Amino acid sequence: MSNETATRRPVVRSGVASAVVPGLGQFLLGERYRGVGILLGFLVILATVIWYGKPLWYASPILIWLWNVWDAISLAGGRARSILLPLFFGLAAAYGIGWQVVEIDFSKANMDRALAILRPMTRPDFIQPRREVNQMWVPVQVPCSSQPPAARREDAGRVATVIPDCGGVGETLIVNVTGMWANAETSIFWQNPIGNPLMLGEGEISMLTLTTDESGSLTTTIRVPSTALVAAPDPTLPQFHRVYFEQYRPAGGYELSFIGGEVLKGALATISMALMATGLAMLFAVPLSFLAARNLMSGNPVTYAVYVIVRTLLNILRSIESLIIAIIFVVIVGLGPFAGMLALALHSVAALGKLYSEVIEGIDPGPIEAVRATGANWLQVVRYAVIPQIIPPFTAFTIYRWDINVRSATVIGLVGGGGIGYLLIELIRVNNMRGVSAVFIAIAFIVIVLDYVSAKLRERLV
Amino acid sequence: MLKIQNLSKTYPNGTQALKNVSFDVKDGEFLVVIGLSGSGKSTLLRCINRLIEPTEGKIFWDDVDITAAPPAELRRIRRKIGMVFQQFNLVKRSSVMTNVLSGRLGYVNPWTSLLGIWAQEDKQRALQALDRVGIADKAYSRADALSGGQQQRVGIARALMQDPKLILADEPVASLDPVLSHSILQYLEGLNKEGITVICSLHFLDLVHRYATRVVALKDGVKVFEGSAKEIDRAKFKEIYGEEAQEVRAASL
Ligand SMILES: Nc1ncnc2c1ncn2[C@@H]1O[C@H](COP(=O)(O)OP(=O)(O)OP(=O)(O)O)[C@@H](O)[C@H]1O
Ligand SMILES: [Mg+2]
Repeated sequence: MSNETATRRPVVRSGVASAVVPGLGQFLLGERYRGVGILLGFLVILATVIWYGKPLWYASPILIWLWNVWDAISLAGGRARSILLPLFFGLAAAYGIGWQVVEIDFSKANMDRALAILRPMTRPDFIQPRREVNQMWVPVQVPCSSQPPAARREDAGRVATVIPDCGGVGETLIVNVTGMWANAETSIFWQNPIGNPLMLGEGEISMLTLTTDESGSLTTTIRVPSTALVAAPDPTLPQFHRVYFEQYRPAGGYELSFIGGEVLKGALATISMALMATGLAMLFAVPLSFLAARNLMSGNPVTYAVYVIVRTLLNILRSIESLIIAIIFVVIVGLGPFAGMLALALHSVAALGKLYSEVIEGIDPGPIEAVRATGANWLQVVRYAVIPQIIPPFTAFTIYRWDINVRSATVIGLVGGGGIGYLLIELIRVNNMRGVSAVFIAIAFIVIVLDYVSAKLRERLV
Repeated sequence: MLKIQNLSKTYPNGTQALKNVSFDVKDGEFLVVIGLSGSGKSTLLRCINRLIEPTEGKIFWDDVDITAAPPAELRRIRRKIGMVFQQFNLVKRSSVMTNVLSGRLGYVNPWTSLLGIWAQEDKQRALQALDRVGIADKAYSRADALSGGQQQRVGIARALMQDPKLILADEPVASLDPVLSHSILQYLEGLNKEGITVICSLHFLDLVHRYATRVVALKDGVKVFEGSAKEIDRAKFKEIYGEEAQEVRAASL
């Protein structure tokens, strides 16, 4: 009987203790980690649901609290309860709140908008049919001087004239051109003295397009565009403007489009950026890695201090994303691949320094003691016992880093670091989805090819 | 004459690998060090050329105190002490030739050696050393392309390049089969006959009987025996190797 009360007392005491402070009962029973864990878990969940403020979720800490009392009582009887149950309650609350916090809402998906973007992306702007151009122009004086020269120009069998020879803004002119391609669509536009094209179609917002006759001639009337003199320093001063005639026809085959050319340039810039960055990083990382190798530096307190300092610096540097370093360099050296290159290089020094130093730490000490035993000095030991062991893995890691740097370089362009990423963000800004798609394809191509090449190269080194 | 006086080594982790060990090695001896694994044989050999710094005690070599030698002098002492290792300790990716040439590093101009430039004379010497151990044809193979026995011969050739007066061999045959063991030890014996002192640690007693002119036995870092191999009777054997020990012969493996 007395035996029973003896076991009863801790049961009640634990239950009450845990009811007042979750985990306290367990703690008092000697299960310290369990007690502290329960308290912390309970507090975190409680804080979360209070912060979120939706009554439904209060069920979670209450259930955990109930379980905790039950556990304390069972524990006093010598039997712990599975912690899976409170874990489940806690996770349910955390996950449920998380779902609402990230505003998951599938009804927001807009298929029309998605299609408007995706459709042009099926036709990447990389190449275009080749075409020939037949271009002709004639000068016109605006406004008229007292003695305007004839508005007539001959070139390669083509003749273009404007009647009268000059005009003011808004006046009507008759333009004529002969010797062009026959029966061909011809765009006619105005060009002001500083070279800006102005459209001559309806309301000056569309291109005036006509077709030549069988002999390759056409005649039409135009008005001197209302904006013809906008850029002129002195609107009363007569200046020569031009009327252009332009014809296109397919020349067979395909050529690189303008965007396609930009994509190629961007790709080249990206790869070179990564290459330069890796090379530069290697120059600094190699000496640093020796200073960051424990087995070489733990000999005496001075070198050990150097080791600790270098290691710490490399670790700090490595923890800063190259994207963030790039933002800083963009401020320092301006937009462009140079900033991106410097950022990649700085990050790579840290990354390569660590990889290299691990190679050095992992080398076989046997040859080192053998070479030391011959009476070689420190540099000779490094040259004959260390370097032959580390060159192949160093090379492999460098190639690997170059591979990573190319990927990073594409992203770094997004913050102004130049290369293909910069082109991408520009194209997105002007909503040129065909161009965007060309960039995507180029990036995928570069990454896949490089991945393969770097894997093959590294394979040969091990 | 090599004099080892009251040598002790305590590793930073507190392990006492050698305890007050003293003995002399006369020029021209083939001294074998025996003892159980962990008894301190490797530590002893490495203290002699200070690959490991002794904690206490002195080592005199022809009256020069090795333990007190400053770095430059230590390197001059080391170049006269060849060393052969159980694991051969070759640079695996380098050629046999480069491995052998590295034995000469203590003699040549440090700067040209850093550029990997070697005098014709040294290359000639390396080929002779390889020829001596019977693998001149392997000079330009990668070291890891050789068998264990061949690699150990490269190790001996490397030691020969030092023009050594003393050779330390730390279990030079423990990784080799019995036949190869004899062939390697015969090379060492040959060198010994030419006047090079040899200090060699060995595991198998039959090899000790066959090659040793004198034996030093270690047990837990303490010298427990010094004398000729013949003096190791059953009782001594049990003292060195423990009560349960059974003599194993290399040849019977
Ligand atoms: N670098 C080290 N740091 C700490 N303890 C060491 C170190 N090297 C050896 N020891 C210890 O010193 C003792 C002697 O080791 P040593 O290698 O000299 O023995 P050994 O007789 O050569 O053994 P084996 O036959 O296994 O080679 C052992 O207890 C070993 O664990
Ligand atoms: Mg040993």
